Amino acid sequence: MIGFRLAARRRFALGSDSSGRLLPWVVALLVYAAGLCGVGLIVLNDALRASEHTLAATLTLQVPAETSDARLETVLALLRQTPGIASVHLLEPAETARLLEPWLGSVPLDDLPVPRLIDLRADPNAEPDLAMLRQHLASVVPDSRLDDHRLWPQEMRAAARRIEGVLAAGITIALLLIAAAAVVAARTAVMADRSVSELLHLLGAADFDIAGGLAVRSLGRGLLGGVIGAIAALLTILALGGAGSVVQLPAPIAVSGAADWRVWGILSAFVPAAGLIAMASAWVAVRRRLAAMP
Amino acid sequence: MVVKLEHIEKRADTGVPIISDASLALEKGGFYFLTGLSGAGKTTLLRLITLAERPTHGSLILFGADTASLDRDARAALRRRIGMVFQDLRLIDTLSAGDNVALPLRIAGAPEHEVRDNVAALLAWVGLAGRADVPTATLSGGERQRVAIARAIVRRPELLIADEPTGNGSEETADLMVRIFEQINRLGTTVLIATDNVAFARRFEHQRFHLDRGMLLDADAAAAQ
Repeated sequence: MIGFRLAARRRFALGSDSSGRLLPWVVALLVYAAGLCGVGLIVLNDALRASEHTLAATLTLQVPAETSDARLETVLALLRQTPGIASVHLLEPAETARLLEPWLGSVPLDDLPVPRLIDLRADPNAEPDLAMLRQHLASVVPDSRLDDHRLWPQEMRAAARRIEGVLAAGITIALLLIAAAAVVAARTAVMADRSVSELLHLLGAADFDIAGGLAVRSLGRGLLGGVIGAIAALLTILALGGAGSVVQLPAPIAVSGAADWRVWGILSAFVPAAGLIAMASAWVAVRRRLAAMP
Repeated sequence: MVVKLEHIEKRADTGVPIISDASLALEKGGFYFLTGLSGAGKTTLLRLITLAERPTHGSLILFGADTASLDRDARAALRRRIGMVFQDLRLIDTLSAGDNVALPLRIAGAPEHEVRDNVAALLAWVGLAGRADVPTATLSGGERQRVAIARAIVRRPELLIADEPTGNGSEETADLMVRIFEQINRLGTTVLIATDNVAFARRFEHQRFHLDRGMLLDADAAAAQ
Protein backbone atom coordinates (compact mmCIF):
# COMPACT_ATOMS: atom_id res chain seq x y z
CA MET A 1 0.00 0.00 0.00
CA ILE A 2 2.75 2.39 0.95
CA GLY A 3 4.56 1.47 -2.27
CA PHE A 4 1.54 2.41 -4.33
CA ARG A 5 1.12 5.62 -2.40
CA LEU A 6 4.73 6.49 -3.06
CA ALA A 7 4.27 5.68 -6.74
CA ALA A 8 1.21 7.90 -6.75
CA ARG A 9 3.09 10.72 -5.05
CA ARG A 10 5.81 10.49 -7.61
CA ARG A 11 3.20 10.80 -10.33
CA PHE A 12 1.39 13.68 -8.68
CA ALA A 13 3.95 15.76 -10.54
CA LEU A 14 4.43 18.16 -7.65
CA GLY A 15 7.94 19.42 -7.06
CA SER A 16 9.15 18.41 -10.51
CA ASP A 17 10.24 22.00 -11.05
CA SER A 18 13.83 23.02 -11.62
CA SER A 19 14.03 25.30 -8.55
CA GLY A 20 14.31 22.34 -6.17
CA ARG A 21 17.27 20.91 -8.04
CA LEU A 22 19.50 23.54 -6.47
CA LEU A 23 18.59 22.33 -2.98
CA PRO A 24 21.07 19.39 -2.81
CA TRP A 25 23.96 21.73 -3.64
CA VAL A 26 22.95 24.32 -1.06
CA VAL A 27 22.58 21.53 1.52
CA ALA A 28 25.95 20.07 0.45
CA LEU A 29 27.68 23.40 1.05
CA LEU A 30 26.05 23.83 4.45
CA VAL A 31 26.75 20.24 5.56
CA TYR A 32 30.35 20.75 4.43
CA ALA A 33 30.62 23.86 6.64
CA ALA A 34 28.79 22.21 9.55
CA GLY A 35 30.94 19.07 9.18
CA LEU A 36 34.18 21.02 9.34
CA CYS A 37 32.89 22.98 12.35
CA GLY A 38 32.02 19.68 14.04
CA VAL A 39 35.43 18.18 13.36
CA GLY A 40 36.96 21.46 14.53
CA LEU A 41 35.15 20.98 17.84
CA ILE A 42 36.64 17.49 18.19
CA VAL A 43 40.16 18.73 17.38
CA LEU A 44 39.87 21.64 19.78
CA ASN A 45 38.55 19.42 22.53
CA ASP A 46 41.41 16.97 21.99
CA ALA A 47 44.01 19.71 22.01
CA LEU A 48 42.59 21.21 25.16
CA ARG A 49 42.45 17.90 26.97
CA ALA A 50 45.98 16.96 25.91
CA SER A 51 47.46 20.26 27.09
CA GLU A 52 45.45 20.22 30.31
CA HIS A 53 46.71 16.74 31.00
CA THR A 54 50.34 17.72 30.71
CA LEU A 55 50.21 21.22 32.13
CA ALA A 56 47.42 21.22 34.64
CA ALA A 57 49.36 19.97 37.63
CA THR A 58 52.78 21.36 36.79
CA LEU A 59 54.69 24.22 38.45
CA THR A 60 58.34 25.13 37.97
CA LEU A 61 60.59 26.79 40.50
CA GLN A 62 63.71 28.58 39.24
CA VAL A 63 66.49 29.01 41.72
CA PRO A 64 69.46 31.31 40.81
CA ALA A 65 72.61 29.44 39.72
CA GLU A 66 74.74 30.81 42.58
CA THR A 67 72.45 29.38 45.26
CA SER A 68 74.41 27.15 47.62
CA ASP A 69 73.66 23.46 47.94
CA ALA A 70 72.59 23.97 51.56
CA ARG A 71 69.99 26.58 50.58
CA LEU A 72 68.87 24.33 47.73
CA GLU A 73 68.32 21.49 50.20
CA THR A 74 66.35 23.85 52.45
CA VAL A 75 64.17 24.84 49.49
CA LEU A 76 63.58 21.18 48.62
CA ALA A 77 62.69 20.39 52.21
CA LEU A 78 60.34 23.36 52.33
CA LEU A 79 58.64 22.25 49.12
CA ARG A 80 58.24 18.67 50.33
CA GLN A 81 56.55 19.90 53.48
CA THR A 82 54.17 22.23 51.66
CA PRO A 83 50.61 20.86 51.61
CA GLY A 84 49.23 20.39 48.09
CA ILE A 85 52.61 19.63 46.48
CA ALA A 86 52.50 16.01 45.39
CA SER A 87 56.02 15.60 44.07
CA VAL A 88 59.28 17.55 43.89
CA HIS A 89 61.98 16.86 41.32
CA LEU A 90 65.25 18.77 41.09
CA LEU A 91 66.46 18.71 37.51
CA GLU A 92 70.07 17.66 37.12
CA PRO A 93 72.27 20.08 35.12
CA ALA A 94 72.30 17.54 32.28
CA GLU A 95 68.48 17.53 32.13
CA THR A 96 68.42 21.34 32.14
CA ALA A 97 71.02 21.33 29.36
CA ARG A 98 68.78 19.04 27.30
CA LEU A 99 65.85 21.45 27.74
CA LEU A 100 68.01 24.38 26.64
CA GLU A 101 69.61 22.57 23.74
CA PRO A 102 67.05 23.71 21.10
CA TRP A 103 67.91 27.35 21.89
CA LEU A 104 71.61 27.25 22.81
CA GLY A 105 72.90 24.24 20.91
CA SER A 106 75.09 21.59 22.55
CA VAL A 107 77.42 23.95 24.41
CA PRO A 108 78.79 23.10 27.86
CA LEU A 109 76.73 24.95 30.47
CA ASP A 110 79.38 24.83 33.17
CA ASP A 111 80.47 28.42 32.54
CA LEU A 112 76.96 29.83 32.18
CA PRO A 113 74.86 30.97 35.15
CA VAL A 114 72.02 28.59 34.33
CA PRO A 115 69.43 28.58 37.11
CA ARG A 116 68.50 25.29 38.77
CA LEU A 117 65.02 24.11 37.89
CA ILE A 118 62.68 22.22 40.22
CA ASP A 119 59.63 20.50 38.74
CA LEU A 120 56.65 20.49 41.07
CA ARG A 121 53.41 18.54 40.70
CA ALA A 122 50.42 20.01 42.45
CA ASP A 123 47.96 17.66 44.04
CA PRO A 124 44.78 18.15 41.95
CA ASN A 125 42.65 17.44 45.02
CA ALA A 126 44.41 19.85 47.41
CA GLU A 127 45.39 23.25 46.07
CA PRO A 128 48.75 24.52 47.43
CA ASP A 129 48.70 28.05 48.85
CA LEU A 130 51.07 29.60 46.29
CA ALA A 131 51.14 33.06 47.85
CA MET A 132 52.28 31.61 51.14
CA LEU A 133 54.78 29.34 49.38
CA ARG A 134 56.25 32.34 47.49
CA GLN A 135 56.68 34.20 50.78
CA HIS A 136 58.49 31.25 52.37
CA LEU A 137 60.70 30.77 49.31
CA ALA A 138 61.60 34.48 49.24
CA SER A 139 62.82 34.22 52.80
CA VAL A 140 65.18 31.37 51.87
CA VAL A 141 66.19 32.36 48.31
CA PRO A 142 65.05 35.94 47.55
CA ASP A 143 65.57 35.67 43.74
CA SER A 144 63.71 32.42 43.20
CA ARG A 145 60.79 32.40 40.76
CA LEU A 146 57.73 30.16 40.86
CA ASP A 147 55.99 29.68 37.47
CA ASP A 148 52.43 28.47 37.61
CA HIS A 149 51.67 26.81 34.26
CA ARG A 150 48.10 26.23 35.33
CA LEU A 151 47.33 29.88 34.51
CA TRP A 152 48.13 29.14 30.91
CA PRO A 153 45.60 26.35 30.39
CA GLN A 154 42.98 28.43 32.19
CA GLU A 155 43.44 31.24 29.69
CA MET A 156 43.67 28.74 26.90
CA ARG A 157 40.53 27.02 28.12
CA ALA A 158 38.64 30.31 28.08
CA ALA A 159 39.87 31.04 24.56
CA ALA A 160 39.05 27.50 23.48
CA ARG A 161 35.55 27.80 24.94
CA ARG A 162 35.03 30.95 22.89
CA ILE A 163 36.19 29.19 19.73
CA GLU A 164 33.96 26.23 20.62
CA GLY A 165 31.06 28.66 20.92
CA VAL A 166 31.82 30.08 17.49
CA LEU A 167 32.02 26.58 15.98
CA ALA A 168 28.78 25.49 17.65
CA ALA A 169 27.10 28.68 16.40
CA GLY A 170 28.45 27.85 12.92
CA ILE A 171 26.84 24.40 13.07
CA THR A 172 23.54 25.84 14.31
CA ILE A 173 23.49 28.50 11.60
CA ALA A 174 24.30 25.91 8.92
CA LEU A 175 21.44 23.66 10.09
CA LEU A 176 19.03 26.63 10.24
CA LEU A 177 20.08 27.64 6.72
CA ILE A 178 19.33 24.09 5.53
CA ALA A 179 15.82 24.51 6.94
CA ALA A 180 15.48 27.94 5.30
CA ALA A 181 16.69 26.61 1.94
CA ALA A 182 14.21 23.70 2.12
CA VAL A 183 11.37 26.08 3.00
CA VAL A 184 12.22 28.34 0.05
CA ALA A 185 12.48 25.34 -2.31
CA ALA A 186 9.17 23.87 -1.11
CA ARG A 187 7.39 27.22 -1.32
CA THR A 188 8.76 27.79 -4.79
CA ALA A 189 7.61 24.32 -5.80
CA VAL A 190 4.09 24.97 -4.51
CA MET A 191 4.01 28.40 -6.15
CA ALA A 192 5.34 27.02 -9.44
CA ASP A 193 2.87 24.13 -9.24
CA ARG A 194 0.15 26.22 -7.69
CA SER A 195 -2.44 25.00 -10.18
CA VAL A 196 -1.29 21.39 -9.65
CA SER A 197 -1.45 21.56 -5.85
CA GLU A 198 -4.85 23.25 -6.05
CA LEU A 199 -6.06 20.63 -8.51
CA LEU A 200 -4.93 17.80 -6.21
CA HIS A 201 -6.69 19.62 -3.37
CA LEU A 202 -9.91 19.92 -5.42
CA LEU A 203 -9.76 16.27 -6.46
CA GLY A 204 -9.83 15.38 -2.79
CA ALA A 205 -6.17 14.77 -1.99
CA ALA A 206 -5.61 15.15 1.74
CA ASP A 207 -3.09 17.79 2.85
CA PHE A 208 -0.99 14.91 4.21
CA ASP A 209 -0.64 13.39 0.73
CA ILE A 210 0.11 16.65 -1.10
CA ALA A 211 2.63 17.81 1.51
CA GLY A 212 3.96 14.25 1.86
CA GLY A 213 4.96 14.12 -1.81
CA LEU A 214 6.99 17.30 -1.53
CA ALA A 215 8.41 16.36 1.87
CA VAL A 216 9.64 13.00 0.56
CA ARG A 217 11.24 14.75 -2.40
CA SER A 218 12.85 17.25 -0.05
CA LEU A 219 14.13 14.39 2.13
CA GLY A 220 15.80 12.82 -0.91
CA ARG A 221 17.39 16.13 -1.90
CA GLY A 222 18.53 16.81 1.66
CA LEU A 223 20.11 13.36 1.96
CA LEU A 224 21.84 13.70 -1.41
CA GLY A 225 23.20 17.13 -0.43
CA GLY A 226 24.24 15.73 2.96
CA VAL A 227 26.20 12.88 1.37
CA ILE A 228 27.97 15.25 -1.06
CA GLY A 229 28.81 17.72 1.73
CA ALA A 230 30.03 14.99 4.12
CA ILE A 231 32.27 13.42 1.47
CA ALA A 232 33.71 16.86 0.60
CA ALA A 233 34.37 17.54 4.29
CA LEU A 234 36.06 14.15 4.70
CA LEU A 235 38.30 14.80 1.69
CA THR A 236 39.24 18.19 3.15
CA ILE A 237 40.14 16.58 6.49
CA LEU A 238 42.24 13.93 4.71
CA ALA A 239 44.04 16.69 2.80
CA LEU A 240 44.63 18.66 6.03
CA GLY A 241 45.82 15.52 7.80
CA GLY A 242 48.34 14.92 5.00
CA ALA A 243 49.51 18.52 5.22
CA GLY A 244 49.79 18.27 8.99
CA SER A 245 53.22 16.70 8.92
CA VAL A 246 54.52 19.32 6.51
CA VAL A 247 53.18 22.51 8.08
CA GLN A 248 53.51 21.30 11.66
CA LEU A 249 49.83 21.49 12.54
CA PRO A 250 49.13 20.56 16.13
CA ALA A 251 49.25 16.85 16.79
CA PRO A 252 45.54 16.39 17.54
CA ILE A 253 44.64 17.17 13.91
CA ALA A 254 46.72 14.26 12.76
CA VAL A 255 45.21 12.14 15.53
CA SER A 256 41.64 13.19 14.57
CA GLY A 257 42.06 12.38 10.93
CA ALA A 258 39.96 9.98 8.94
CA ALA A 259 40.95 7.18 11.29
CA ASP A 260 39.03 8.76 14.17
CA TRP A 261 35.56 7.20 14.53
CA ARG A 262 34.21 10.49 15.90
CA VAL A 263 34.94 12.21 12.58
CA TRP A 264 32.99 9.50 10.77
CA GLY A 265 30.31 9.72 13.42
CA ILE A 266 29.81 13.47 13.22
CA LEU A 267 29.92 13.59 9.41
CA SER A 268 27.53 10.68 8.99
CA ALA A 269 25.19 12.20 11.60
CA PHE A 270 24.91 15.37 9.53
CA VAL A 271 23.60 13.40 6.50
CA PRO A 272 20.31 12.19 8.06
CA ALA A 273 20.09 15.46 10.01
CA ALA A 274 20.20 17.44 6.73
CA GLY A 275 17.60 15.11 5.16
CA LEU A 276 15.23 15.28 8.12
CA ILE A 277 15.55 19.06 8.48
CA ALA A 278 14.87 19.52 4.75
CA MET A 279 11.88 17.15 4.96
CA ALA A 280 10.36 18.72 8.06
CA SER A 281 10.82 22.26 6.72
CA ALA A 282 9.21 21.41 3.38
CA TRP A 283 6.36 19.69 5.22
CA VAL A 284 5.62 22.71 7.37
CA ALA A 285 5.96 25.15 4.44
CA VAL A 286 3.55 23.19 2.23
CA ARG A 287 1.03 22.62 5.01
CA ARG A 288 0.96 26.37 5.60
CA ARG A 289 0.37 27.02 1.91
CA LEU A 290 -2.39 24.42 1.78
CA ALA A 291 -4.07 25.93 4.82
CA ALA A 292 -4.89 28.94 2.61
CA MET A 293 -7.06 26.64 0.47
CA PRO A 294 -10.46 26.10 2.17
CA MET B 1 -30.43 14.83 -0.73
CA VAL B 2 -26.96 15.11 -2.22
CA VAL B 3 -26.57 18.89 -2.07
CA LYS B 4 -28.59 21.33 -0.02
CA LEU B 5 -27.83 25.05 -0.05
CA GLU B 6 -29.76 27.21 2.37
CA HIS B 7 -29.61 30.99 2.07
CA ILE B 8 -26.06 30.89 0.80
CA GLU B 9 -24.29 34.18 0.36
CA LYS B 10 -20.80 34.63 -1.03
CA ARG B 11 -18.99 37.94 -1.10
CA ALA B 12 -15.70 38.74 -2.82
CA ASP B 13 -12.78 39.91 -0.67
CA THR B 14 -13.80 43.45 -1.61
CA GLY B 15 -17.22 42.83 -0.05
CA VAL B 16 -19.07 42.77 -3.38
CA PRO B 17 -21.77 40.06 -3.32
CA ILE B 18 -21.29 37.29 -5.92
CA ILE B 19 -24.04 34.95 -4.71
CA SER B 20 -27.00 36.37 -2.80
CA ASP B 21 -29.33 34.25 -0.67
CA ALA B 22 -29.20 31.14 -2.85
CA SER B 23 -31.14 28.05 -1.81
CA LEU B 24 -30.97 24.87 -3.84
CA ALA B 25 -31.53 21.14 -3.40
CA LEU B 26 -30.11 18.45 -5.65
CA GLU B 27 -31.75 15.05 -5.21
CA LYS B 28 -29.87 11.80 -5.43
CA GLY B 29 -29.99 10.57 -9.04
CA GLY B 30 -31.14 13.96 -10.35
CA PHE B 31 -29.85 15.64 -13.51
CA TYR B 32 -29.69 19.43 -13.46
CA PHE B 33 -28.56 22.33 -15.58
CA LEU B 34 -27.42 25.61 -14.08
CA THR B 35 -27.77 28.41 -16.62
CA GLY B 36 -26.81 32.04 -16.43
CA LEU B 37 -24.87 34.67 -18.30
CA SER B 38 -21.13 34.87 -18.01
CA GLY B 39 -20.32 36.53 -14.68
CA ALA B 40 -23.64 35.55 -13.11
CA GLY B 41 -21.82 33.55 -10.41
CA LYS B 42 -22.15 30.00 -11.80
CA THR B 43 -18.50 29.07 -11.28
CA THR B 44 -18.56 30.51 -7.74
CA LEU B 45 -21.66 28.46 -6.94
CA LEU B 46 -19.95 25.33 -8.27
CA ARG B 47 -16.82 26.13 -6.25
CA LEU B 48 -18.96 26.42 -3.14
CA ILE B 49 -20.59 23.04 -3.83
CA THR B 50 -17.21 21.38 -4.53
CA LEU B 51 -15.81 22.87 -1.28
CA ALA B 52 -13.23 24.94 -3.15
CA GLU B 53 -14.57 27.97 -1.29
CA ARG B 54 -16.50 28.63 1.88
CA PRO B 55 -19.74 30.62 1.84
CA THR B 56 -19.79 33.98 3.62
CA HIS B 57 -23.21 33.12 5.08
CA GLY B 58 -25.68 30.27 4.91
CA SER B 59 -25.44 26.53 5.22
CA LEU B 60 -24.20 23.94 2.77
CA ILE B 61 -25.13 20.31 3.36
CA LEU B 62 -23.19 17.88 1.19
CA PHE B 63 -23.97 14.14 1.22
CA GLY B 64 -25.89 14.76 4.45
CA ALA B 65 -22.95 16.44 6.22
CA ASP B 66 -22.98 20.05 7.36
CA THR B 67 -19.79 21.25 5.69
CA ALA B 68 -19.28 24.16 8.10
CA SER B 69 -18.37 21.82 10.93
CA LEU B 70 -16.03 19.49 9.03
CA ASP B 71 -12.26 19.38 9.43
CA ARG B 72 -9.91 19.49 6.44
CA ASP B 73 -9.58 15.73 6.06
CA ALA B 74 -13.34 15.26 6.16
CA ARG B 75 -13.78 17.99 3.51
CA ALA B 76 -11.14 16.24 1.35
CA ALA B 77 -13.04 12.95 1.78
CA LEU B 78 -16.26 14.65 0.55
CA ARG B 79 -14.42 16.12 -2.45
CA ARG B 80 -13.34 12.62 -3.43
CA ARG B 81 -17.03 11.75 -3.87
CA ILE B 82 -17.40 14.48 -6.50
CA GLY B 83 -16.28 14.30 -10.14
CA MET B 84 -15.61 17.65 -11.80
CA VAL B 85 -14.99 18.83 -15.36
CA PHE B 86 -13.49 22.28 -14.93
CA GLN B 87 -14.15 25.15 -17.31
CA ASP B 88 -10.44 25.33 -18.13
CA LEU B 89 -10.19 21.50 -17.89
CA ARG B 90 -7.13 21.71 -15.56
CA LEU B 91 -5.15 18.90 -17.07
CA ILE B 92 -1.52 18.54 -15.99
CA ASP B 93 0.39 18.92 -19.22
CA THR B 94 3.54 17.28 -17.85
CA LEU B 95 1.60 14.04 -17.37
CA SER B 96 0.30 11.61 -19.99
CA ALA B 97 -3.43 11.36 -20.75
CA GLY B 98 -3.59 8.13 -18.72
CA ASP B 99 -1.84 9.63 -15.68
CA ASN B 100 -4.24 12.58 -15.76
CA VAL B 101 -7.23 10.25 -15.76
CA ALA B 102 -5.59 8.16 -13.02
CA LEU B 103 -5.18 11.08 -10.58
CA PRO B 104 -8.47 10.57 -8.62
CA LEU B 105 -7.75 6.84 -8.30
CA ARG B 106 -4.20 7.42 -7.11
CA ILE B 107 -5.37 10.08 -4.68
CA ALA B 108 -7.78 7.48 -3.30
CA GLY B 109 -4.88 5.04 -2.96
CA ALA B 110 -6.21 2.50 -5.50
CA PRO B 111 -3.82 -0.36 -6.37
CA GLU B 112 -1.85 0.21 -9.57
CA HIS B 113 -3.37 -2.74 -11.48
CA GLU B 114 -6.84 -1.36 -10.74
CA VAL B 115 -5.66 2.09 -11.85
CA ARG B 116 -4.35 0.72 -15.16
CA ASP B 117 -7.51 -1.31 -15.93
CA ASN B 118 -9.91 1.51 -15.06
CA VAL B 119 -7.96 4.14 -16.95
CA ALA B 120 -7.73 2.00 -20.10
CA ALA B 121 -11.48 1.24 -19.97
CA LEU B 122 -12.43 4.88 -19.37
CA LEU B 123 -10.23 6.20 -22.16
CA ALA B 124 -11.79 3.66 -24.53
CA TRP B 125 -15.26 4.78 -23.43
CA VAL B 126 -14.57 8.43 -24.30
CA GLY B 127 -13.06 7.43 -27.65
CA LEU B 128 -9.37 7.62 -26.73
CA ALA B 129 -8.57 3.89 -26.70
CA GLY B 130 -4.85 3.10 -26.63
CA ARG B 131 -3.86 6.73 -26.03
CA ALA B 132 -3.04 6.47 -22.34
CA ASP B 133 0.66 7.21 -22.87
CA VAL B 134 0.20 10.21 -25.15
CA PRO B 135 1.45 13.46 -23.57
CA THR B 136 -1.56 15.57 -22.69
CA ALA B 137 0.05 18.67 -24.20
CA THR B 138 -0.06 17.12 -27.69
CA LEU B 139 -3.84 16.41 -27.64
CA SER B 140 -6.42 18.48 -29.54
CA GLY B 141 -9.00 20.62 -27.69
CA GLY B 142 -11.73 17.99 -28.06
CA GLU B 143 -9.42 15.19 -26.95
CA ARG B 144 -8.35 17.18 -23.90
CA GLN B 145 -11.99 17.66 -22.97
CA ARG B 146 -12.56 13.91 -23.23
CA VAL B 147 -9.57 13.28 -20.95
CA ALA B 148 -11.10 15.73 -18.46
CA ILE B 149 -14.46 13.89 -18.70
CA ALA B 150 -12.75 10.53 -18.16
CA ARG B 151 -10.93 11.91 -15.09
CA ALA B 152 -14.22 13.22 -13.66
CA ILE B 153 -16.00 9.86 -13.89
CA VAL B 154 -13.15 7.40 -13.30
CA ARG B 155 -14.08 6.92 -9.64
CA ARG B 156 -17.83 6.62 -10.26
CA PRO B 157 -18.56 9.78 -8.25
CA GLU B 158 -21.84 10.34 -6.43
CA LEU B 159 -22.00 13.90 -7.73
CA LEU B 160 -20.78 14.86 -11.18
CA ILE B 161 -20.29 18.52 -12.07
CA ALA B 162 -19.29 20.20 -15.33
CA ASP B 163 -18.55 23.90 -15.74
CA GLU B 164 -19.21 25.35 -19.22
CA PRO B 165 -18.83 22.19 -21.32
CA THR B 166 -19.71 24.12 -24.48
CA GLY B 167 -17.13 26.80 -23.88
CA ASN B 168 -14.22 24.45 -24.43
CA GLY B 169 -14.10 22.62 -27.76
CA SER B 170 -17.02 21.75 -29.97
CA GLU B 171 -20.68 21.40 -29.08
CA GLU B 172 -20.29 17.86 -30.40
CA THR B 173 -17.99 17.02 -27.51
CA ALA B 174 -20.39 18.75 -25.15
CA ASP B 175 -23.17 16.52 -26.53
CA LEU B 176 -20.96 13.46 -26.01
CA MET B 177 -20.34 14.58 -22.46
CA VAL B 178 -24.03 14.95 -21.68
CA ARG B 179 -24.66 11.49 -23.18
CA ILE B 180 -21.90 9.99 -21.06
CA PHE B 181 -23.19 11.85 -17.99
CA GLU B 182 -26.70 10.51 -18.69
CA GLN B 183 -25.35 6.97 -18.67
CA ILE B 184 -23.57 7.60 -15.38
CA ASN B 185 -26.73 9.29 -14.07
CA ARG B 186 -28.72 6.11 -14.72
CA LEU B 187 -26.39 4.35 -12.28
CA GLY B 188 -27.53 6.79 -9.57
CA THR B 189 -25.00 9.64 -9.87
CA THR B 190 -26.36 13.17 -9.44
CA VAL B 191 -25.32 15.47 -12.30
CA LEU B 192 -25.06 19.26 -12.40
CA ILE B 193 -23.95 21.05 -15.57
CA ALA B 194 -23.37 24.80 -15.61
CA THR B 195 -23.57 26.61 -18.95
CA ASP B 196 -24.20 30.08 -20.32
CA ASN B 197 -25.66 28.43 -23.44
CA VAL B 198 -29.36 28.32 -22.49
CA ALA B 199 -30.29 26.90 -25.90
CA PHE B 200 -27.91 23.98 -25.33
CA ALA B 201 -29.42 23.27 -21.90
CA ARG B 202 -32.94 23.41 -23.30
CA ARG B 203 -32.17 20.60 -25.72
CA PHE B 204 -32.20 18.16 -22.87
CA GLU B 205 -35.15 17.22 -20.70
CA HIS B 206 -33.58 18.05 -17.37
CA GLN B 207 -34.44 20.43 -14.58
CA ARG B 208 -32.81 23.85 -14.93
CA PHE B 209 -31.80 26.47 -12.42
CA HIS B 210 -30.99 29.96 -13.55
CA LEU B 211 -28.54 32.37 -11.94
CA ASP B 212 -29.03 36.04 -12.57
CA ARG B 213 -26.55 38.48 -11.00
CA GLY B 214 -26.04 36.21 -8.03
CA MET B 215 -29.74 35.45 -7.54
CA LEU B 216 -30.77 31.83 -8.04
CA LEU B 217 -34.09 31.10 -9.77
CA ASP B 218 -35.77 27.84 -10.65
CA ALA B 219 -35.73 28.33 -14.45
CA ASP B 220 -38.54 25.85 -15.06
CA ALA B 221 -40.75 27.45 -12.44
CA ALA B 222 -39.87 30.90 -13.76
CA ALA B 223 -40.75 29.82 -17.30
CA ALA B 224 -44.05 28.37 -16.11
CA GLN B 225 -45.08 31.67 -14.47
